[in-house]
Amino acid sequence: MTKKQAVYFCTGCGLGEALDIPALVKVAKSEFKIQDVKEHPFLCGPEGVALIKKDIEAGVNTVSIAACSERVCYDVFNFGPSIIVERIPLRERVAWVQEPGDEDTNMMAEDYVRMGLSRAKVTELPEPFLVENPSKTILVVGGGLAGMTAALEAAKAGYDVVLVEKEAQLGGWAGKVYKLPPLVEPFTDLAENNIPALAKAIEDNPRIKVYTGATMESIAGGPGVFNAKIKHGGGTAEEKVGAIVLATGARPYDPKKLTYLGYGKTNVVTHAEVEEMAKNGKLKEVKRVAFIQCAGSRDPEHLPYCSAACCVETLKQAVYLKEFNPDAQVYIFYKDIRATGKYEYFYKAVQQTGAVFIKTEIPGVQVLEDGGKLAVAGKDIILGEDVTIGDLDLVVLANGMQTNAAFGEEVVLEDAEAEAAAAKEEEAAVKLDQIIKSNMLNLVYRQGPEMPALKYGFPDSHFICFPYETRRTGIYAAGVVRATMQVPAAIEDATGAALKAIQCVEAVARGEAVHPRSGDISYPEFNMNRCTQCKRCTEECPFGAINEDEKANPLPERTRCRRCGTCMGACPERIISFKNYSVPMIGGMAKSIEVPEEEEEKPRILIFACENDAIPALDMAGIGRMKYSAWVRVIPLRCLGSLNLVWISDAMSSGIDGVMLLGCRHGEDYQCHFIKGSELAEIRLSKVSETLDRLGLESERCRFHQVSIMDYYRIPKLIEDFVAKIDELGPNPMKGF
Amino acid sequence: MTAANNQASRYDPAFANELYSIENGHYIKQCMQCGLCVVTCPARHLMDLQPRKYFKAIQAGDRDRVLKANTPWLCTSCNLCTVRCPRGIPIIDVMHGMKLYLAQKQGVKSAPGALFSKTFFDVMLKRGRQWEAWLTQMYFLKAGPSAIKDALKMMDVAQPMVLKRRLPLAPAKTIKGKSQLKKIYEKAAALAKEGH
Repeated sequence: MTKKQAVYFCTGCGLGEALDIPALVKVAKSEFKIQDVKEHPFLCGPEGVALIKKDIEAGVNTVSIAACSERVCYDVFNFGPSIIVERIPLRERVAWVQEPGDEDTNMMAEDYVRMGLSRAKVTELPEPFLVENPSKTILVVGGGLAGMTAALEAAKAGYDVVLVEKEAQLGGWAGKVYKLPPLVEPFTDLAENNIPALAKAIEDNPRIKVYTGATMESIAGGPGVFNAKIKHGGGTAEEKVGAIVLATGARPYDPKKLTYLGYGKTNVVTHAEVEEMAKNGKLKEVKRVAFIQCAGSRDPEHLPYCSAACCVETLKQAVYLKEFNPDAQVYIFYKDIRATGKYEYFYKAVQQTGAVFIKTEIPGVQVLEDGGKLAVAGKDIILGEDVTIGDLDLVVLANGMQTNAAFGEEVVLEDAEAEAAAAKEEEAAVKLDQIIKSNMLNLVYRQGPEMPALKYGFPDSHFICFPYETRRTGIYAAGVVRATMQVPAAIEDATGAALKAIQCVEAVARGEAVHPRSGDISYPEFNMNRCTQCKRCTEECPFGAINEDEKANPLPERTRCRRCGTCMGACPERIISFKNYSVPMIGGMAKSIEVPEEEEEKPRILIFACENDAIPALDMAGIGRMKYSAWVRVIPLRCLGSLNLVWISDAMSSGIDGVMLLGCRHGEDYQCHFIKGSELAEIRLSKVSETLDRLGLESERCRFHQVSIMDYYRIPKLIEDFVAKIDELGPNPMKGF
Repeated sequence: MTAANNQASRYDPAFANELYSIENGHYIKQCMQCGLCVVTCPARHLMDLQPRKYFKAIQAGDRDRVLKANTPWLCTSCNLCTVRCPRGIPIIDVMHGMKLYLAQKQGVKSAPGALFSKTFFDVMLKRGRQWEAWLTQMYFLKAGPSAIKDALKMMDVAQPMVLKRRLPLAPAKTIKGKSQLKKIYEKAAALAKEGH
C-alpha cells in the first residue's frame, strides 16, 4: 500500500492556546515532508470529521490526528479497516500537564508529533489471520452441574456442544445430593435436586453430543482448530472443536486427614455421608447433632482458603435434620458463617428452626466419646467460656473442597529446568508456570499438558478483569474447578464461561484476538531465516501459544495468541514483529525525539508505559490537570512484556538521559493483563545494567515502577523523583555523538 | 463426663425455647451477633449483659445469666437499636416482652429493675403525669431498708436537682380527663389478659 498521509491538528480543548500550532505544523511539513496538514477548532465534531472524510475520499489513507488521547474518541476517528489512524495525544499528555505557552511545552508537543509521525510512516494495515473451516463446536469437559449448565447454555445459543464426562452418568457431585440449597427468591427453602432433569435435557438436546465414561486423551491445536481425542469405550473418538469449557469440578477434602477433629470415631461423618444418610432415610433416628465448620478449610496446615460452599451445605443439612425429625437439636460450631449474598436469608431461616450457633476457634474444638454418644468441647468466644455439648448422636465435619486440578504430579520440563539452572548463574531466571498433571485436558502444548496454576492448584486467570479466562486462550474454566463457590455462583460461572467460549469461536472465525485486545487482527510474524532456536519466545509466552519442533524452532499457533508481544520483547534477534507494532517502529519513535545539546540543560526522559493501566493512569493525571516535568516523553506499549532491550540501549546511545518503565503490579497479586509481561520487563531491565555499564552509564538511569490505574495521583511524584535523580547524575555523556 | 453435664445445662434448649415462645421472643433466634445494637445503645455501660450478649445468652439457654441480667430494665425504648438491626429484630419489643416475662416469673420485688418500673407506672397512672420527687420516695420506701441507704448516698445528686427545679417537691398538677386515662389503662389490661 502506498501511503498518502495527512495530519490534522485540533485546536479545541485548550490546545490552540497552550501550544504553538504553526511550529508543530512546520515539524510535519519540513521534517516529515507531509504537505496535507490541516487545523480545525473542533476536530471530533461533525465538521471536523467531515473534513477528514473528504480527504479520505480524495485518496488519503494514513490519518494522523494530533488531538486527544487514543483512549477517547476512538469511535469518532474510526474510518474503517482500510485507513490507518495514528493518534498523537497532545491533549492529555502535553497541553493539560504542562504550563501553557511555555517553550518546553512546545518542544514536548513537537516530540510527540515526531513520534506519532515516525510511527505512522512505518506502520502497516494488519490483515487478519484466518484459519480454514474454523470449528464453532464447544467442548465441555466435565458433566457436573457447571459442565451441564455450560453445555445447555451454549446449545441454547445455537452452538454444537461435545460433552465429556468420566463417570458412566452425568451429574457430578451435585447429582449425588438429596436436595440443593435454595436457588430462587426468597432464598429460604431448599430446592429439589434438579440434576436428573438437567441430564435429561442434555440427552434430549440434538446439539449436544455426550461421551460418558470418557476422558481426554489429548488436545492439540488452538482455538477454532482444536483437535480433541477422547478416550471412550476402549477406543478413541476424535472431535474438532473451537473452544473448551473446563468444568471438571472439585472433590471433598480427604476426611482421613481430619483425625484431629475426631474423624474415624463412630458417628463422626462428613457432609457427603450425611447426603447419603438423607437419601437412605437414616436421619430419622438422629436427635442431637453437632456440625463443625471449617474442617480443614482456612487452616494453613490443610486448605488455607475458604471452601465457600460448606456454610450453606451445613445450613441445608440442618434443615434436613429438622425435616426428618422435628425434635432434632442442631449445634453448629463455626468461625464465621459465610452465607454470602442472598444466602443471608437462608441463614436467618435456619436460625428460626432453633439451631444453636456457637462461635469458636477451629481447630481448637475436640470431639470426645461420651458413654456411647459423642461430645464436642470448645471455647464459646462470644460468651467467653468453655463449652461442651454432650449426648450427641452425630458429629458432622464440614470438610471443604479441593479443585480436581490440584491432583497430580507437578510438571517439570527437563530442558527448561537445566536451562534455568544455567541461566541463574548469569541473570535472574523467569519463574516457570506451575502446571499439575491432573489428567483433565492433556494438552499438546510445549509448556505443559494442563492449566497453569497460581495458588492452591486452581487454574489461574486475571482475577479482577477476566475471571473466566485461563492462561490458555480458548479454554475457559467454570465452577468449582476454578475457585470455590456456592451452587448459584457455579451456575452463573458456567453460563459466563459458555458465553466466553462463544465469543472465542466467533473471534477466531473473524481472525480477531480475544480479550484483552478484543478485535485486534494483527498477529506476530516470525522471520525464521534469522532464528537461532534460543527458545526464549516459546518459554516466555504467557499463553503457551508457541510450540517447538524437535530442532527448537518456534511453531506459533496463531489462534492461541493474545497479541501482547511478549515474544517480540523476548527475541534477541528481533525477528518477531506485528504489521502495526514492531521493534524498529518503537525504536524509530524513540530515536525521533530531538535531544538538545548538553549545554542547553534540557534533559530528556523516555517513559515506556503499559497501555492497559499505566497509560490510563497518565491520562487520568492529564484529566486532573496535574503538572509534571516537561522533560518526559511517553511511548505506549501493548504490554511491558513486549519491551525489547534494544530500545533502551538505542535511546541511551542517542543521548536520552533516563528511561522509566511503568508496568502493572506483578507477583502473587499480579495485575498484568498478560500475566507475566511486567515481571518479564523488570527481569529484562535487571539485565540492561550490564549494557549500560558497557556504555559507561549509571544503571540508575533506568527505573521500573509498578502502577495501577488508581495510582494516577502518584504519577507526577514518580516523574519528579526520577527527574531529580537524573539531575543528580548529570547529563548523558553520549549526547551529541 | 460430669463437666460435660454441667456445661450442657448452659446450652439448655428448653429454656431457650421457653423464651422464644414469649411475645416477640422468636425474633431472638435470628440474632447473628453483629453488635450494632450495642454500639448504638445509650445505656450499654450500665447493663450487666449488653444486648448482643444478652441475646446470645438466651440462644445458649444460659438460665442463670439471663434471669440475673438487668438488661431489659435499663432499656429506655429509644428505638435506636431497632432501627439499625440488620436482621430486623424489633429489639425494644423483645425487651418489653422480656420485662413482662420476668415480672411475672420473678415477681416485681425480686426482678432487678422491675420495682422501679412498676412504681414509675403507678405514679404516672395516679396523676396522669410524672412527679419525680414522689416517685423516688415511693421507690426507695418500697425497696426496703437497704435501698434507703442507697438513697441517702444519692443526696448530692438530688439537692442540686431540687434547686434547679428538676426534682420539684410540690406535686405536679393532675391532668384533665384522668378518669379516661384510667379507662384506657383498664381496657389495655383487659386486652392483655385475653392475650392480645
